Amino acid sequence: MKASMKLVSLLLLILLLAACGNSEASSDDTQNGEKTVVDYWHVNAETQGGQTVEELVKEFNESQDEIIVEPRYNSGMYQGLMQNLQAEAAAGNAPALVQIGWSYREYFSNNFHFIEPQEIIKNISEDEGYLEEKFLPNVLALAENNDGSQVGLPYSLSTPILYLNMDILNEAGVSPEDLTSWEAVKEAAKTISESTDNYGLYIAEAADNWNVQQLIESNDAAIINDGKAAFANEQGFEAYQLYADMITEDKSALHIGSDEGTQAFVTGDVGIAHLTIAQRKNISDNAAFEVSGVPSPAFDGEQLKVPAGGSLLAITTDDEEKQQAAWEFTKFLYEADSIAAWTEGTGYLPPTVDAVDNNDELKALMDEDTMMLSAYHQLENLVPWAPFPGGSGLQAEQLLIDMRDKILAGAPIEETMKATQEEINNLLQ
Amino acid sequence: MNKNNTLHLNKINMKPWLFLTPVFIMFSLFVFWPLLYTFYLSFFDWNMVSPTKTFVGIDNYISVLTNPTTYKIFLNTLFFIGILLLINLVVPYIFAFVLHLILNRLKGFYKTAIFLPAFISLVVGSILFTWILNPISGPIAEIAGWFGIQLPIWSQTEGLVIVVISLITSWKVFGYNFIMLYASISGISEEIIEAARLDGVPLHRIFLDIILPVSSSAGVYILIMTIVQGLQFVYTPISVITQGGPNYASSNLIYQSYNEGFILYRTGHSAALSIMTLLVFAILLLIEFKFVERGVHYEN
Repeated sequence: MKASMKLVSLLLLILLLAACGNSEASSDDTQNGEKTVVDYWHVNAETQGGQTVEELVKEFNESQDEIIVEPRYNSGMYQGLMQNLQAEAAAGNAPALVQIGWSYREYFSNNFHFIEPQEIIKNISEDEGYLEEKFLPNVLALAENNDGSQVGLPYSLSTPILYLNMDILNEAGVSPEDLTSWEAVKEAAKTISESTDNYGLYIAEAADNWNVQQLIESNDAAIINDGKAAFANEQGFEAYQLYADMITEDKSALHIGSDEGTQAFVTGDVGIAHLTIAQRKNISDNAAFEVSGVPSPAFDGEQLKVPAGGSLLAITTDDEEKQQAAWEFTKFLYEADSIAAWTEGTGYLPPTVDAVDNNDELKALMDEDTMMLSAYHQLENLVPWAPFPGGSGLQAEQLLIDMRDKILAGAPIEETMKATQEEINNLLQ
Repeated sequence: MNKNNTLHLNKINMKPWLFLTPVFIMFSLFVFWPLLYTFYLSFFDWNMVSPTKTFVGIDNYISVLTNPTTYKIFLNTLFFIGILLLINLVVPYIFAFVLHLILNRLKGFYKTAIFLPAFISLVVGSILFTWILNPISGPIAEIAGWFGIQLPIWSQTEGLVIVVISLITSWKVFGYNFIMLYASISGISEEIIEAARLDGVPLHRIFLDIILPVSSSAGVYILIMTIVQGLQFVYTPISVITQGGPNYASSNLIYQSYNEGFILYRTGHSAALSIMTLLVFAILLLIEFKFVERGVHYEN
């Protein structure tokens, strides 16, 4: 009897201690001795540049003795980071510096506290003109939200390019120089599927509208115009028609999920693949054939536009001392050597204009690697990842994914696109 | 004397409650409270971070019920349940029966081999199967190619995508269900079966008239677990392979609640859908109690 009572009280005690331990762990210490602590949240797992993050942080921490950067890895990519940020912000423990995925730009800036880099620079005379020197105007504008605030600075940049399986292209007699427009790619895909037993083309069908946006906007249609969905017009229909025809009529393009499709390209069953440059390492390491790259094409006579993938760096703390410290670390990350390490470790493109000229390894990479070079040349054609305004942006993206699934399964293009556009615009009101 | 007695009684009454307290606290924190809060959230429009929640009454419920996608997902859910029951209840039942009564050799090997995948994470399994079952470049497609067979692109085919995802899930669930049923079948007294065999009763009659009724308590447990847990397990391959696509063809009520809540941040919709899912399952359980539970044989 007595023993059992003891057992129960012991259990209760353990429970109580567990609860206390929790609240202790989450308490925030702003000062580590004399040094300012900067919590830096990233999404880079060990195999996706996590090591580079650790190395850069270590180098920075050893280079001076006023600031300590503490990196924290968030699993589940930008979505996972956003979920953690929600929890910590609600508890009042927001980190100082975070990576925000491009598709979360509006959601993040509408719901969380951030400080514009311009606000910080204002008080530092030596940094006057820093942003203009470092970034192309269109690249800097990627991180500007619909209300015109600079949410942060572009850090990880990726663009879609065409990867080429040269073995298949040679067999089919297709020359990379011919792939200058989407119409030409369609012809090439047809030639490949007819003259070899491989698929001609695969366009990534991930859980986003990123690749389709490249297609549509490079036919002078806009996913979004003046804050409204605006893709259901002649130009938009034409772009989707070309995509759907390759799948349903020519049967030259592969229609499958993005992991499976990328695998199929790597194994050598597809001639041309429209994928993100972030896949470069995976593809060149694992492909048993000669692989090359050309820039994403536009439609005949139209201007090329490529959506930006990756993330921006935003300063989220409202403590002024921490803001300064986070800014110092940010500047370190944008030095040519840090950017070179970042590109090497992750496969993202250098976001700054001065990195390639000031780092020999980066320069050599651009000279040797047609895939990297193709993506880098597209930087001046970068446009933001369709930034739907307000709280419905993520849902609008989902509707675009649904629209793609329907059309590629054979739904009538005009009707489906009009219906989706209307549904999105009803949401945005 | 009298006084002593009441004191004694009190002590007896207090003890079980005290023992229940830790569990009760855990349950309240992690089951009852979230359930109540979900119910509360289903009446609000909220994106999980905004400081204001807008009260919208039953708008979320109306919007869920008027959305044709909801019905598609509901039918998918039933389809999932049907297939999961077939491959994770009917088949392991027959396997267990065959292994116990008909096979004489290698029993230990089969038991281990069938149970082994239950240890491996379903995320790993899903990634593995994406590669193995890749209809263009996977090993199975390769072998089929030798015979001139082209595999259908299952991840983009309505219906088929549900079957394949259920198969991937069964890789993890099958072994556990099999072991439970096997344990129950091996517990059946040998004499009954021996007697039936001597009388020349065919095997399928032994299975239907002896094995099934006597092991029915384990059977019902596996039945409920297959429905309830199976739907939660399929979440993993859906999330890894199809994200509910193409056009919701592989989504089910549980994945959709997650998608609405944690990918689109439509907390109110997600909560309303969750509450309705809860109701559907409550009804399924009621049906089970009414029609199945009656015929179940419990040994004690």
